[in-house]
Amino acid sequence: MSEAAATFTEDRQRLELAALSAPAVIFTVAMIAFPVVYTVWLGLHSFSSTGKQSFVGLANYSRLLADTEFWHGLWVTIALYVLSLVLQLVFGVWLALVLFHAKRLPGIVRSLFISPFMMPPVVAGMMWLVILDPSLGAANYILQSLGLPPSEWLASPVWVIPTVALIDTWQWTPYVALIVLGGLQSLPPSVYEAAQIDGASAFKTFQRITLPLLLPTIVTATILRSVDLLRFFDIIYITTQGGPGNASNTLNIYGFRVGFEFFNIGYASALMLTLTAIVFGAVLAFNRLRGAVAW
Amino acid sequence: MTDAPITDAWIRRLNLLQLVVAGIIVLTPTLWMVLSSLKPSFEVTAYPPTLIFAPTLENYAQLTKTTPFLSYAINSLIVTIGSTALGLLFGIPAAFAVSWTRISWPAILTLAARMAPGTLFLLPWYVMFRQVGMIGSYTALILSHAVITLPIVIWVLLPSFDGIPRSVFEAAQVDGCSVTRILWRIALPLVASGVAVASILAFVFSWNYFLFALVLSNGDSKTLIAAAFNFIGEGSTQWGALMAAATLIALPPLILAALVQRWLVSGLTLGAVKG
Repeated sequence: MSEAAATFTEDRQRLELAALSAPAVIFTVAMIAFPVVYTVWLGLHSFSSTGKQSFVGLANYSRLLADTEFWHGLWVTIALYVLSLVLQLVFGVWLALVLFHAKRLPGIVRSLFISPFMMPPVVAGMMWLVILDPSLGAANYILQSLGLPPSEWLASPVWVIPTVALIDTWQWTPYVALIVLGGLQSLPPSVYEAAQIDGASAFKTFQRITLPLLLPTIVTATILRSVDLLRFFDIIYITTQGGPGNASNTLNIYGFRVGFEFFNIGYASALMLTLTAIVFGAVLAFNRLRGAVAW
Repeated sequence: MTDAPITDAWIRRLNLLQLVVAGIIVLTPTLWMVLSSLKPSFEVTAYPPTLIFAPTLENYAQLTKTTPFLSYAINSLIVTIGSTALGLLFGIPAAFAVSWTRISWPAILTLAARMAPGTLFLLPWYVMFRQVGMIGSYTALILSHAVITLPIVIWVLLPSFDGIPRSVFEAAQVDGCSVTRILWRIALPLVASGVAVASILAFVFSWNYFLFALVLSNGDSKTLIAAAFNFIGEGSTQWGALMAAATLIALPPLILAALVQRWLVSGLTLGAVKG
């Protein structure tokens, strides 16, 4: 092949490869990038009830800083995030260890363990709504049979956050466990053998060897859960819509209601962009952390 | 160390016990949902709750009689299948090109779109779709749900394409095969199982997605998930029918997930963990 012909084929190939990813890129830009730019524009405007828009600069953002409902939403988001994440990581690592030591699980058992996070969050919300009903639910019946006082669960301004965290933990702990299990299975067995020869106890082996080696996997699980937990929506919208009062009004729920219930499009845009910045900030921070704990 | 085998046996038993406890916690709520859906209406709200009852399908019958459940289900199927097909159509060539060129920004772009809160796009989508009169149309719903399916397809298929030895492509190139031809004739058949997993995961997460349909669908095009929200409002005491609806909505993703559970792990973590 002559040199010119070779360059021609290479150019052609590059063009073909670009054409292959073009539909996905064009689709994403049209559906995401353009709307996001539009949201930024919306966030700099105010809309009157007649639909007339006026440029207000950063007024929506300064309004946000003075909005107690925003700060409350931020607090609810963070409380729910930290509580759910800690519960899911602790139980997820535990479940992963249990699954790891149960060699050769039948496929049906694995299917049962992934069933919570394969079903729609909406369904999880519906089933727990019935189980946690304050007067007729099975949860309170169990508490009372154990001699414990019943709880108002989702109807209590105090308990609604822990209860929502509990529902989400039920649904997503097996997911964290599967990720950690993948990490466990990729650890070299020689590490354990060395520890065994040294006579290390099971707990010491876990604390000194397994846990540090698992850290990158745990950070991965943290990133994947953070993305979902910081924009918590489905289960809350199904069960409480942010209530009782505003006790479970996360930023995502608040932004949604400002936009689609109060039709305050400019302010809702500012809220959503702020939440997006928080989500991506967390992802980038954890991504750095993953680099730091890699081995 | 004469007691070592005994300790081993105990450790195994303790582990099995933990496995059973975990299994009970994971399964009981789902089981309770299914049981409640099979209870006669007067027993669903009985207190203390009953465990022994004569199972009946009356809740399911009532659900199909009092709500357009079937047409919601068809809406869900159209949107889910449409968005999965669109995700595959755009995602397969993109994943192949990213794997070939090692230029990863198109894949990362779709993933970033998936990480942003859905409400961020929903606002401009609502404004734009309303302007062109597309609120409530299948097209708007399929396009919005393809934002969910596209990154799943790309990130599930990337490791599959990466796994094909480069020499396979080089041999085909020497024979004068174009890149596009290599994808459809050679690479795609080799990653068929990856495509199956990607399709199922895309189907499941599109089926389960709530937010977009909540705003972009209306009376006639409402998906099951969006309609479920109304079931709660309409019948707070109709627990039987509510649980029947929940059971039916959960069934398709659960069956599909069970079929491919062995291959799901790496797909679910979007390639973050090789399972």
